[in-house]
Amino acid sequence: MPQLIKVRPTKTELVKLKRRLSLAERVQKILKDRLTILTMEFLQATRETVAAKQRLVDVLAEAYKALSIATGYHGYIALEKEFMATESDPKVVAGSRNIAGVRIPSFELAGRDDPATGYNLVDTSASLDHASQLFGKCLQAMVELAELQRGLELLGMEINRTKRITNALEYIIIPSLQVTISYLIMKFEERDREEKGRLKRVKMLVGRG
Amino acid sequence: MAGDPTYEKMLQECLRSELRLVNAALPASQKPLSGLLCEDYPHVMCTDGSFHLFKRKELEYCAEITSPDEQEALLLPMIIEVGGDRTEAAVVCRGQVEEKVTSTVLNMPVTSERGRIRIYKPQLALLRKTLKTTTQYVFLHESLH
Repeated sequence: MPQLIKVRPTKTELVKLKRRLSLAERVQKILKDRLTILTMEFLQATRETVAAKQRLVDVLAEAYKALSIATGYHGYIALEKEFMATESDPKVVAGSRNIAGVRIPSFELAGRDDPATGYNLVDTSASLDHASQLFGKCLQAMVELAELQRGLELLGMEINRTKRITNALEYIIIPSLQVTISYLIMKFEERDREEKGRLKRVKMLVGRG
Repeated sequence: MAGDPTYEKMLQECLRSELRLVNAALPASQKPLSGLLCEDYPHVMCTDGSFHLFKRKELEYCAEITSPDEQEALLLPMIIEVGGDRTEAAVVCRGQVEEKVTSTVLNMPVTSERGRIRIYKPQLALLRKTLKTTTQYVFLHESLH
């Protein structure tokens, strides 16, 4: 049962309430549109996250397999010596994009097309190159997954928040405004009727006197 | 709670802020595709001062399906209007190039009507799947009192 808002029964309050109701209905419509868009994006992000996770698992499995082959070929110590020289921090360009008011982070791995491996190409074999390429792909897949997963979390949180507001509008705010408006209208009609009755009575008394 | 003037005022402000939020951080300007392709980190500035970053992969895809002249004419991000009186979304187009890009992505012919290409929800999902950073939602609503 919607709750009646405690207001003074005046015409000014009725106008104010009507304005509030119109604002609430407009917000509800926009929020519903927004919720539709956010849900659509969320489902899309979910599908993409699942695919990206699977891709990462596949590439990692392949990369570790290639690394174990390279380790078997060169030996652990020799490989470690080569890798020490190639250590570098990956550069990730971070920005954001806006989906219906939700700011989603956007990451892009910079300099991934750089062919320089860093290790000595003379002392190493093609198996190490293959492993290196696969780990490069892993890095790319990780960055993609990080972006998608964070986006998914943010979209999920925003969907929950928007849903709560939409439900509050639909089941509490708008009904209580409507009930209060109709209560005020009834009250004014009642007042009018009373006034008419009073006038009739006064007319009758004046006519008699 | 209901009827309390402070609560009511807060509620109204909350609803107004929701209206502002949907169109917050929109790109302040659009850049031609040809210009974006030349940038190291293709981006546009947003209204709140943040950067909207474009994915190079998407830009390259757009470049593949357009000619050099069209790349000059294609302004990114493309605007998708949602809400208002319509139930479907609309891609804002200034020329033929937006039509061409939308048509190629959706793999179906599209026509613009008064500078808008009307698309339905499944097509919108497909468009957004392909052009995530090169399209931007804008919510239409009546101005606030």
